[in-house]
Amino acid sequence: MSRAARLAIAALRRAAGGLLLLVGATFVIYITIRSAPGDAIDAISPMGTPPDVKARLMEEFGLDRDPFTGYIAWLMRSLFGDFGESLVFSPGAPVMEVVLPAFGRTLLLSASALVACLILAILAALLLGEPSRRQQLLTGPLYVATAAPSFVVAVVFVQFVNWGIKAFLVEGGYVPPSWYPLEMYTESLVPYVFAGLTLIAGDGLFMDFFNSVRADLNALRNAQFIAAVKAKGARTLGHIARNMVMPLLSGYAARLPIVLGGVVIVEYVFTLDGGGYVLLEAARERDFPVVVGLSVLFTATIIAVNLLTDIIRALVDPREVAHGG
Amino acid sequence: MGDSRLRVGLYLSGTVVGLVLLLGVIAPFVPYDPADAVDYDQLLQAPGMGHIFGTDGQGRDVAMRLLKGTEAFFLPGLMAAALATVFGALCGAVSGYAGGWLRGGVLGTMQLIDTLPRLVFIILVCTILNPSIYLIAFVAAVLFVPSIATVIRRRVEALGSEDYILAHVAHGFRPVRILLYHILWLQCRPLLIRQATYVFGYVLFVEVALSYLGDYGVQEPDPSWGNMVAQARGLRGVSAWPWAVPAVAIVVTIAGFLAFGNLLARADEEEVR
Repeated sequence: MSRAARLAIAALRRAAGGLLLLVGATFVIYITIRSAPGDAIDAISPMGTPPDVKARLMEEFGLDRDPFTGYIAWLMRSLFGDFGESLVFSPGAPVMEVVLPAFGRTLLLSASALVACLILAILAALLLGEPSRRQQLLTGPLYVATAAPSFVVAVVFVQFVNWGIKAFLVEGGYVPPSWYPLEMYTESLVPYVFAGLTLIAGDGLFMDFFNSVRADLNALRNAQFIAAVKAKGARTLGHIARNMVMPLLSGYAARLPIVLGGVVIVEYVFTLDGGGYVLLEAARERDFPVVVGLSVLFTATIIAVNLLTDIIRALVDPREVAHGG
Repeated sequence: MGDSRLRVGLYLSGTVVGLVLLLGVIAPFVPYDPADAVDYDQLLQAPGMGHIFGTDGQGRDVAMRLLKGTEAFFLPGLMAAALATVFGALCGAVSGYAGGWLRGGVLGTMQLIDTLPRLVFIILVCTILNPSIYLIAFVAAVLFVPSIATVIRRRVEALGSEDYILAHVAHGFRPVRILLYHILWLQCRPLLIRQATYVFGYVLFVEVALSYLGDYGVQEPDPSWGNMVAQARGLRGVSAWPWAVPAVAIVVTIAGFLAFGNLLARADEEEVR
C-alpha cells in the first residue's frame, strides 16, 4: 500500500474514533442532565418559565422519553447544530447564533495565548540552555509565581495594570487595525492582550511548557544522531526542529483543556464577551440550552484538537502510520 | 539539580503543606460567628498588632477569615485527592497489567472522561444539581482519574517487563498481590503522592473560583479564600490588604502543594538512580 493510502486510512480511523468519543462525551453530558433530582424540567428551566416553553424544553431535551431514545433524539438535533433557543440570556434567539461568535473569540484568545506561550517557552529554552544552579534563582520564584490560578493573576492585572494602560492607550487615540476580528472591544485591544498574558502567566502554563521544551531540546542536542549529523558536517537545525514537533504537539494538545478552563474565568474577570463569559452568565441566569450548547462546543473542540494533532503527528512521523496506527 | 537544592525545596514546600494541613485541622475547632465579627470602628485597617493581616471592608479580621476559609476546601480536597488517587491507581494498574477487553474498556472510559473540559463540566453540573462542595470535589476527582491512570499505566507497563516482577510471577504470587503491593505500593508511591497534591490543588482552585464567581461557592458572610478575593471588585484603589492576603495564600498554597509533589517524585527518581 502506498504511504498516502495508509495515511488516509489512519486519518479515517482516527476521525471515526473522534466521532465515537464525541458521541460518548455528549452522552455523559446528557446523562448529567437527566440525573437532576426531582422533575428534570424544573431543574433546567429558570423560575417562572411559562408552561409552553417548558413543554418545548421537554421535547428538545427528550425528557418525555426514556434516557436512551431521548438521547438519540437530542443528539440528532445537536449534531446539526440545533441546540434550541436561548431562554434568558438572549430570549428567543437560536443558541448557536448566541454562542458561536462568543466561542470564536474564546478560541482565538486561547489559541493565540497558547502560541505566544509556546514561542516564549522555546525562546527561553534556547536562551537558557542547560539548567544550572544560578538559573534556579530566577526559575524558582518564577515557578511559584506562575503556579497561580489564572483568575488570581487576572484579578491582580485588573486591579493594578489594566486600568492605567487602558486609559493611556484609549486616550492616546489608539486605533486597532481593521482586520482585528474582536468587535466588541475594538476601542481597546488591551483587555484581550492582558487576558492572553494572564493565560500565559497563570495555571503554571508557561513554566510547564518551558520545562518540557527545555528538557526535550537538551536531550535532543545531546542525542547521538545529532552528533552524527554534526560529524558529517551537516546543519543540525532541521533535524532538531523536526524532532521537536512531536513533543511540542502533544504538549500543546495536553494543555489545551487547561487553557480552555482558565479562559472561562479570565474572560469573566476581564468581562470579555467570549464563550466563557457567556457560559457563566447563562449559568447564573439558568439559561440551560446555552449552557449545554457551550459545553458541547468546548468538548468538541478538545476532541477536534486531539484529532488534528494525531493526524499531524502521523504526517510528521512515519512510524506512527507504519505500525497500523 | 543539586541534592542540597532539592532538600531546600522540599523543606520549603513541605512547610507550606504542613502549615495548610495544620490550619485545616484546627479551623473547625475555632469558634467564629461572621455576624459577630463585623466592627464598623475598625474598617480596612492596615496590618498591625490587633489584626496581623488587617481588617476588611466590614471591619472583620482578615487573618481569622483566612483561617476559617480553609474549611471550604480542606476536607473536600483531601477526599477528592484520596478518591482520585485510589481509582486512578486501580484503573492504571488494571489497564497496564491486564489485556483484552478489560484493558480496552478501561482505556476507552479514561479517554472519554479525559475529553470533558473540566471546569466547564463542573459548571454544567453546578447548573443542574446546585451541588455542595463535596459533590463538586467528587466530580473533580472523577475528572482527574484518567490523568493519574495514564501515569500509573506507563509505570506498570514498564515494570511489567522487568525481570524481578517476572520472578514474582514465576514464584506463583497472585497477580492482585503483585499489582497492589509490589508494583503500586512499592514502586508508585511518590508518583501517587504527586498526583494527589495536584488534585488537592485543583479542588482548592475550583472552590476558590466558584466562590469568587459567587453563585455556587461559599456565600458571604461565611468566609472562603475565593469570596475574600472577590472583595477586590469593591475596593479598587481603596485598600489591597483584604483581597491581596488571600490571593497570596491561594498562590502559595497551590505552588507549595505542586512543588512538594514534584520534588518528592524527583527525589525518589534520583534515589533510584
